[in-house]
Amino acid sequence: MNPHPVIEVEGLRKRFRTRRGPVEAVAGIDFRVQPGEFVGYAGPNGAGKSTTVKMMSGILLPSAGRVEVCGMVPYRERKRLARRMGVVFGQRTQLWWDLPLEESFELVGHLYRIPPAERAARLARLEEVLALGPLLAVPVRSLSLGQRMRAELAAAVLPAPEVLFLDEPTIGLDVEAKAAVRDFLRELNRDQGTTVILTTHDLDDITRLCSRLMIIDHGRLIYDGTVEALRTAYGTTRVLVVDLAEDEPVQVQGAVLARAEGRRRWLEFARDEVSAAELIARLLAGHEVADLTLEEPDIEDIVRRIYRGEAPP
Amino acid sequence: MAEHAGVYLRLAAASVRATARRPAYLVVRFLSAGMIVGIEVAGVVLMLDRFGSIGGWRPAEVVVLFGLAFTAQGLALVFGDTLEADKVSELVRRGTFDQVLTRPTSPLGWVVASYVDTRFVGRMLAGAVTVAWAADRAGVAWTPGRAGLAALAVACAATIIFGVLLAAAGFTFVTVQGSEAVNVLIYGGQYLASYPMQIYGSALRFVFVWVIPIGLAIYVPALGVLGRQGPAGLPGWLAWLSAPVAGAFAALGGLAWRAGIRHYVGTGS
Ligand SMILES: Nc1ncnc2c1ncn2[C@@H]1O[C@H](COP(=O)(O)OP(=O)(O)O)[C@@H](O)[C@H]1O
Ligand SMILES: [Mg+2]
Repeated sequence: MNPHPVIEVEGLRKRFRTRRGPVEAVAGIDFRVQPGEFVGYAGPNGAGKSTTVKMMSGILLPSAGRVEVCGMVPYRERKRLARRMGVVFGQRTQLWWDLPLEESFELVGHLYRIPPAERAARLARLEEVLALGPLLAVPVRSLSLGQRMRAELAAAVLPAPEVLFLDEPTIGLDVEAKAAVRDFLRELNRDQGTTVILTTHDLDDITRLCSRLMIIDHGRLIYDGTVEALRTAYGTTRVLVVDLAEDEPVQVQGAVLARAEGRRRWLEFARDEVSAAELIARLLAGHEVADLTLEEPDIEDIVRRIYRGEAPP
Repeated sequence: MAEHAGVYLRLAAASVRATARRPAYLVVRFLSAGMIVGIEVAGVVLMLDRFGSIGGWRPAEVVVLFGLAFTAQGLALVFGDTLEADKVSELVRRGTFDQVLTRPTSPLGWVVASYVDTRFVGRMLAGAVTVAWAADRAGVAWTPGRAGLAALAVACAATIIFGVLLAAAGFTFVTVQGSEAVNVLIYGGQYLASYPMQIYGSALRFVFVWVIPIGLAIYVPALGVLGRQGPAGLPGWLAWLSAPVAGAFAALGGLAWRAGIRHYVGTGS
């Protein structure tokens, strides 16, 4: 028996009128998200990710179809839903720009009617996990992007939302800041059971965090499943990268030469046709090899191929 | 609602604190808003002086009318300046309004409270000083009833202006970037939108910010304040009609605002 889904989307569409005619940003999508899921929502630029998030969070009215979040129709019960949902847009701020950071937390406490003792306790924990202590007295506009994103996350989860929508939260962050954001989200999902929808075009975010991946392109869902299932379904091609001792032509049965650069060769082969060990043996029989590495299918590659419509369905 | 008032007061206080972090800037803005009223009043007085009287109104009496209008505009703009088309489109374009819609408050309450502009308190006070000064010159003997009428005039005119701003904001949601189709329909496309709208806009503005508030909310109560007979013996109770008229403007503004939010599409980035 499944618990009641947190998010239900059915035949959801959004059409915009633009100078160049109508644009179907979301062209009929269906999915359900169960409590506690961590869903990665990926797709190329302009695929319709933000538009979907905006309909789920009550910002935009759908053109057609149905959306329910926490049992509510978002645009109709905007205020009530707002108490149970958090939203973070990577390039915008929900903090009070000119005021010290701690005042933002105080205002959020009042807005969401969090009892002061409760607020203090939650904030103490967040300050520790997100290393916010030294930032509290700093006006938000003086925070670095990474610092600010940590603060945005803290403000968004301070009311303990059941669902958290994140639209490109790691955009523009350096490696360290990205790691901090990911660690925090992983723990939030694991320890609080918060349902997270993470929109990103950084597939690293998704492979590291998400139990489920949805890919949207041209307003349609073209994949909905686990990252692993995607790898096995689409990622049948592995690559053997070989550094030859001498610059010579290479031919190995069962592999296709994908690329050559100096003495380096990229040999593509199908997982289910030949094993890596077998292929290496065949290679060594005819060539002198200085070095070699095996590349597993890269999720980024797979997804890029799906976008291009190359990979089999 | 009472419990909500606390939240909005906090938002307003935060916005004032944010500006107060630059006190010099605040003072300059406040003073300049007051000074603008002074200059406008001086202009009116100079102009009226050449005529002596207009339609039987002495200059001081006309200045009372203007003073009431200044006060009302100041009051309306303290709360409503953020509803001006350019400010609303800025909120939309920056995506700020997207976030307002995800807050557990009324979007209008949020926007108004978060962007109260204390600068216009300057205009309000200067307007009140103008009324006091001109009423004195016009020989008005203040009674509680006359003070009440003046307050009524200001409150109603402010409500009318706020209602108009609200409607304009609702309209801006629809016309701002993203649904240019509407723009084309209403302004006739880029050519029209670029140049004559400004002139058209300022003419409209003049009507909505001066003519209508003075005509519908200030003129009749001011007759009472000044102890004048209106043309053809306008009945005294007519002054109280200002309230329902102002209420109607506010209600229509509210409807337009709601319609605007329903058609809100934000920006495409
Ligand atoms: N407010 C809007 N007005 C007009 N077109 C829009 C608007 N918002 C989004 N779009 C268009 O809809 C499509 C999807 O946009 P979006 O949901 O932002 O994509 P993503 O977030 O996946 O990059 C794009 O073609 C975009 O230009
Ligand atoms: Mg986007």
